[in-house]
Amino acid sequence: MADGLRFEGRRVTVEPGDTVASALYRADVRTFTRSLKYHRRRGLWCVTGDCPNCMVNVDGDPGVRACMTDARDGQVVVRESGWPSAERDLLHVTDRLHRFLPVGFYSKTFIRPRFVWGLAERAIRRATGVGHLPIGRPASARPARALHVDLLVVGGGVAGLAAAAEAAAAGSRVVLVEERRLGATAWDARVRERIQTLAAEARAAGAEILEHHTAVGLYEGPFVPVVGPAEVLHVEAGRVVAATGAVEAHAVFPGNDLPGVFLARGAALLSIRHGVAPGRRAVVVATTDEGRASAAALRSAGMEVLIHDGPVIAAEGNGRILAVTLGTPSGRERITCDTLVLSLGWAPRDALLRMGTDQEVAGAGDVAIPGCSLEEAEASGRRAANGHDEAPSDVPTVPVGDEGYVCLCEDVSLHDLQQAWDEGWRSSEILKRYTTATMGPCQGAVCGRLLAAFAGARADAVATAGARTTSRPPARPLVLEDLAAGVDEMIEQRTSLHDRHLGLGARMERSGSWSRPTTFDAIDEEIRAVRHRAGLMDVGTLGKFLVAGRDAAELLDRVFPIRVRDLEPGRSRYLVALDEAGYVIDDGLLAALDSGRFYLCTTSGRAPAMEAWLRDWIDRWRLHVHLLDQTAQLGAILVAGPKARAILGRLTGDDVSAEALPHMRHADITVADVPCRAVRVGFVGEVGYELHHDRSRGPALYDALLEAGQVEGAQPFGLGALDVLRLEKAHLYLGQDTLPDDHPAKLGLEWAVAMDKPDFVGKRALERMGALPLERTLVGLRIDGEPRRGVPLLVGGRVVGRVTSCARSEAARGTIALGWVRAVDGSFPTELIAGHAVATVVPTPFYDPEGARLRV
Amino acid sequence: MFEIRRTLVGVVTASAGAGALDGLVVPGRAFGCRTADDELMLLSVPQVTDEVVREVSTRLATLDPDALVIDTTDGWATIMVAGGGARSSFGLLSRLELPDAGFTQGEVVHVPAKVIADDEQVLILAPSMWEAHLLDRVTKALGATGRLETREWRVPTP
Repeated sequence: MADGLRFEGRRVTVEPGDTVASALYRADVRTFTRSLKYHRRRGLWCVTGDCPNCMVNVDGDPGVRACMTDARDGQVVVRESGWPSAERDLLHVTDRLHRFLPVGFYSKTFIRPRFVWGLAERAIRRATGVGHLPIGRPASARPARALHVDLLVVGGGVAGLAAAAEAAAAGSRVVLVEERRLGATAWDARVRERIQTLAAEARAAGAEILEHHTAVGLYEGPFVPVVGPAEVLHVEAGRVVAATGAVEAHAVFPGNDLPGVFLARGAALLSIRHGVAPGRRAVVVATTDEGRASAAALRSAGMEVLIHDGPVIAAEGNGRILAVTLGTPSGRERITCDTLVLSLGWAPRDALLRMGTDQEVAGAGDVAIPGCSLEEAEASGRRAANGHDEAPSDVPTVPVGDEGYVCLCEDVSLHDLQQAWDEGWRSSEILKRYTTATMGPCQGAVCGRLLAAFAGARADAVATAGARTTSRPPARPLVLEDLAAGVDEMIEQRTSLHDRHLGLGARMERSGSWSRPTTFDAIDEEIRAVRHRAGLMDVGTLGKFLVAGRDAAELLDRVFPIRVRDLEPGRSRYLVALDEAGYVIDDGLLAALDSGRFYLCTTSGRAPAMEAWLRDWIDRWRLHVHLLDQTAQLGAILVAGPKARAILGRLTGDDVSAEALPHMRHADITVADVPCRAVRVGFVGEVGYELHHDRSRGPALYDALLEAGQVEGAQPFGLGALDVLRLEKAHLYLGQDTLPDDHPAKLGLEWAVAMDKPDFVGKRALERMGALPLERTLVGLRIDGEPRRGVPLLVGGRVVGRVTSCARSEAARGTIALGWVRAVDGSFPTELIAGHAVATVVPTPFYDPEGARLRV
Repeated sequence: MFEIRRTLVGVVTASAGAGALDGLVVPGRAFGCRTADDELMLLSVPQVTDEVVREVSTRLATLDPDALVIDTTDGWATIMVAGGGARSSFGLLSRLELPDAGFTQGEVVHVPAKVIADDEQVLILAPSMWEAHLLDRVTKALGATGRLETREWRVPTP
């Protein structure tokens, strides 16, 4: 036997076709939530998912619209706002404190003393809100699926289905998305019947109809994210037909938010579709045909119904409507009732349509022709399918009274809007920002037009004051998991040696998007190995480019500030890359190959940007250059240290002696049967060979080097050791030791710039800056304390710089650092305070300043 | 049902002037993908990659003496999604629109990729530093459909 859903400890029977809202209403639940600020009772109002009044927690998910959620046995439903409960909410006292909680009060109270705001904010946050995030619950990854269609139809009513059927019959790929089941929000049997017929026609023509799929936004393309039960669709459509319908207009009068006030379609849905009478005695105030027809629906549910077509003056009640005062030709009349049903005009659900301005988006049905007949809706849909863009009809706004709630989501009353206006917030856009009207879960669907009408109607308003506020996604509420669907934050690049590193017990870290070893055991021991024996490091992450073509030398000579034309095959040169402003954007190494080709190595993180940058210059100068990115294709292993040559000697028959392959030269050799380009480099300050090789051969080469290195006491090393080794040589880490506006002179890299060349990128900027005194420079420091990267450098209590790299160095016998300092009174200080230590500016490099160890 | 297959593909990259590539007759045993005005990617079975390099080099030499023709097989990780649902499931991996038959390029599982598709299979090539990412994300995304046939397979060593 079905045991119904669980609602705050009670069992609630679920009938076939029930929503959570209808099941609860049948069980005499009248208060579904409390309002955001004043904790006023909120009950069912639209029953079509357009308002915030029925948001509850379902099975742990907060902010679920009860009227849009199918009820099922075993569901657990809880109301979320109110303290201690939504039914008996002590915070309702705020409804008597309007005078002390004026609009925007949190922007102008609790300002001094400053600590008060911290306390007040905490209290305000606890007292307000419409639900509680399940912080402790693990998030599930929602899949995203791309879908390409000729036509996307949003909305499965008569107009939408007609559009889908028409376009599919013409051979288009058509997908229609409907927020609920087809016909779920239609209470009129004739409409439901037509929906069934058109759905069958659309399906037969090949259209795909996706129920329970909600379009939440519309972006350039048109691109429409659609949230479904199991996945989020990213729909790229040739055209979009928005057949999103209309909701009955919101009317503002005192008591307009009392439970028992319904929109007519909602009241009829409850009565006809769910067999639940909204009350016993209803006053129906209707100016629309559908509203008038709803009276019959209510009568059929057994309600006593009074129909009225004049204005509503006020509704009164205490937690539920008890009477309504209506305007009559003779004045006013007070009628007791427990239900007030309103159908005073239409508010097209045009959020998507308005997001799609200047896009291939057309409206159809009620959204374009509010209140249109069944036949008009169908014709409108078919016209939209054929590319006809229906101009949205002008919708008269329901007159705004003197009192009542405009924004149900954010508890903004007419009084609040007037006060904000009087304070000087005099257009709909800034009224929105100040009062937060239209910024709640309904995103202005209910109140957007009223806000604009209010602003536009002020006597002292400027012409644009009453414009509708901008429509932005999401058009419908969605959960964070939906927003994150398809997002992948952990995209990791790996070298071919990744598994070898793991096998050796490496501790891996993210360096940019690369996964790289920090250390294999102990950083200090790895440093000693490189300084006294040898170390192996995976440098396959470096950017690697082959530059060829008859203009290759010209390109490189014009782009980089080094001399390229005199670089003979077999030689390499360190380079810095400058942008047009003369700032350093990368560094690397350029090796001249045979046949006018060059091999360019860049830093690991900048490789993609360097490729794009070089291609830009190739195109701009119309050079005949072929640039091939070999970063993925080639691996590279650095063998460095006094024993590096001996290790290579065990594995190659080629001559790798200092005479045959000196510092900054390169040669193609074979190591352990693996063809390699061996490049002599010195980033760590010892004899070093970078062995560039085909990626697939990397693991075999690495194994051979490790084995051969065992005899010499070599060991692998990671980024932790490299950081100290390069610091001892005062080699920079771009980005860590540099700032975006560093030119070579600030970094002590003037030697890498051939200013006597006729031209290169950034030269003119360097000439201009060269005429100015340096205001900041990177210096080497010895610190008589513990290394602390990032600490400010002070002189006389004034911050004049910052430590950018810092380490305790065995080879340099103390704590060494790089840091930038500003000039003080025209000269650079030489004694500074770094945290609790004294920092003294010293010459660099800290280790082997003559570079003798590189030339062994 | 569909399956993910590790596929070894020989890749040759030819960089040359646009006119030269326009005039190049692609060797019969290779499939040419024009990745840029001045770049052509040629796919073949790995056993004939050397021949493709030789043939294309020879043919291009007369059209563009500076042309660069290189075996870049090591630079690419390759997987094939094959079977009835291969094309329809591709939307879980990428926002690219698949051609009916042929080549396209763009992001697949958020990394730059080349894609060759026909009626029943989709071949995806991504730079090899993303090999693990590609395999992991494709397997997870397609595995979640419940339509993926999983088999034990080993990455063949060239």
